[in-house]
Amino acid sequence: MAKVPLLKDVLKLIFSKPATIQYPREETPVEPDARGRQYADLSKCIGCSLCMIECPPKAIRMEKIPEGYEVPKRNARKIYPVVDYFKCIYCYRCVTVCPTKAYVVTNEYRLASDAPVNSRELSLSTLKKASQEPSQGEGEG
Amino acid sequence: MTEEVSKADKVVEIPMTVEIPVGPQHPAVHEPILIKVYAEGEYVVKAEAYTGYNHRGVEKLAEKKTFYQDIFLCGRVCGICNTVHADCYVRALEHILNKEPPPRAKYLRTLAMELERLHSHMLILAVTAEIVGFDTLFMHMMRDRELIMKAKEIVTGNRVLADYIMVGGVRRDLNSEKIDKLKKILTKVEPRIRYYWRVFEEDVTLNKRLVEVGRLTPAQVTSHGLLGPVARASGVATDSRYHDAYDAYAEVPFRIVTRKEGDCMARSLVRFEEMQVSLEICRYILNHLPEGEAVPDERRLPRRFPEGEAFTTVEAPRGELTYYVMSKGGVNPYRVKIRTPSYNNIINTVPFYVGHMIADVPAILASYDPCISCMERVVVIDLRKGIRKKVSMRDLAKGEA
Ligand code: SF4
Ligand code: SF4
Repeated sequence: MAKVPLLKDVLKLIFSKPATIQYPREETPVEPDARGRQYADLSKCIGCSLCMIECPPKAIRMEKIPEGYEVPKRNARKIYPVVDYFKCIYCYRCVTVCPTKAYVVTNEYRLASDAPVNSRELSLSTLKKASQEPSQGEGEG
Repeated sequence: MTEEVSKADKVVEIPMTVEIPVGPQHPAVHEPILIKVYAEGEYVVKAEAYTGYNHRGVEKLAEKKTFYQDIFLCGRVCGICNTVHADCYVRALEHILNKEPPPRAKYLRTLAMELERLHSHMLILAVTAEIVGFDTLFMHMMRDRELIMKAKEIVTGNRVLADYIMVGGVRRDLNSEKIDKLKKILTKVEPRIRYYWRVFEEDVTLNKRLVEVGRLTPAQVTSHGLLGPVARASGVATDSRYHDAYDAYAEVPFRIVTRKEGDCMARSLVRFEEMQVSLEICRYILNHLPEGEAVPDERRLPRRFPEGEAFTTVEAPRGELTYYVMSKGGVNPYRVKIRTPSYNNIINTVPFYVGHMIADVPAILASYDPCISCMERVVVIDLRKGIRKKVSMRDLAKGEA
C-alpha cells in the first residue's frame, strides 16, 4: 500500500499562516453582498406593513414614528418597521416584498450583544429632525 | 450454605450483556440520537434507536404559516441541506401554481444544490476520518470545505442558510465577476478532493477501520428502503436526479456513481466520486449558463394559491427527499408532508449493527450520514427486536427470568 504524503502536507502547514480566523480580534471576510443587517429607509417607507406581515419569524414590529421627525406625506399612518435582529433570520423577505424598496441592506454580521439590538436607531437616522421641534425625539416605542 | 445450594431447584444463568448508550450526546456526529447497544464482550448482540431529542413540529408549523413563509421554514428543517429542502418545497408550489421557472433559474438552482452536496459530503467524510481517530485529516478537510462554503456565499448570499430559491426562480443572479470567482474556487478545490480521495483509498488506519465494516447487501438495501449514497454503495443505482430529471438535471450531463462492496469504505468512496461528479456539474453550469431572467419580482407573485396538491422529490446529499404539499386554496398550505432520507437510512439500519464490534458502531453510523434534525418529525418507538433472544439484567431484576 502506497503511503500518501500527508506528512509533507502537515509539515508545510506548520510553517504557514493558520487557517483559523481569530474572531473577534480578526474580521471574518464576507462578501460585500452577503446578507447582513438590514433596516428600513424611512424616507422611502410608506408604512404599509407588508414586510411585517411577510416576515417568517415575525421579527418585525410596526411602531409609531416618534414626535420630532419630518415624516414623508406618503406615510400617512406615521408608522415604521422595527426589526428585532435577534429574531431575524436574515432571509431578506422583507427586502424583496417592500413595494417601495425601502430597505437598506448591509453585510454587517457582527450582531452579538447582551442588550437587545434592533433597527430603531438606524431607521430613525434616515429621517430629518423636524426643525420646529428641538426635542431629541426619543420614541414612545 | 451448602445445604441452601442443594435445595435450589432452578439455576439462573445471567447472560452478561452490557448495555451501552451511544449518544444522545455526540454519538458519532454532532447530532442527538441514542443508539442503545447491547454488547457481549466486544460484539453487539442487539441495537435499538431512540429518537425524538430534536422534535420541532415543523410540519404543523408549516400549516400555520403562509406558502411563502414556509419556503424559509422548510430551508430550516436541516441546516446542511437547506437548499434541497427549499427547492423541493418550491417545486411543489410551482406545480400547484402551474408555473415553470426560466432556464437560467433552473441552472442556478442546480448549481446551489451541487455546491451543497459538495460541502455536505466533505463534512461527513471529514467526520468519518475523525471517528476512526484521524483528527488531522478532519481538520484539513474542514479547512478546504471552507472554500466551498465561500462559493455558496458568493452564489446565495450566505454560507450555510441559502434562502436562495423562490417560486418562479431564484433570489439573486450571478454576474461574470462572480462566475470567475467561482471557477477559481472550483479549480482550487478539485486537487484537494482528489488528494483526500487518495488518502481514503490508501491510508492504513482508514482501511483497517472502514473496509469490510458495516456491509449491506443489495437485498438488504432494497428490503429496508435505504436511499442515497448508502444504497449506491451497495450497487443499487437509485438517484432521483436521474429518475426525476428535475430542474436542470435533464440537460446537464452527469452519471450515477455506484460501487459493489457495500461497506463503510464503499460509502465513503461513493461520496468522493459524487463530489467529483458535482464539480463537473458545477463547471458545466458555469460555462453553459443560459441567458435571461432568473430572479422573479417577489412583489408580483400571487398571494393566494389555487386548490391542488403536489408531490416532489429531489436527490438530497443523503438520498431521496420527498415533499407532499396540499392546498385547499387560500394563503396557507393545508398539509406539508416531508420525508427525509435520513429517516429511512438511520432507523432502518439499526438491525445491521448486530455482529459488529462496539468501536465500529460510530464508524458505521457516520457512514450512513445521519442528519437527525432532518428526521425528527415523527417519533418511532417500536423497532425490530434483536436477532438472538437474551434476557437482560434489567429484565431479570424485574423478575422476568
Ligand atoms: S430578513 Fe427575514 S426574518 Fe429578518 S426581518 Fe426581514 S423578513 Fe424578517
Ligand atoms: S414593506 Fe416597505 S414600505 Fe411597507 S412598511 Fe415595510 S419598509 Fe415600509
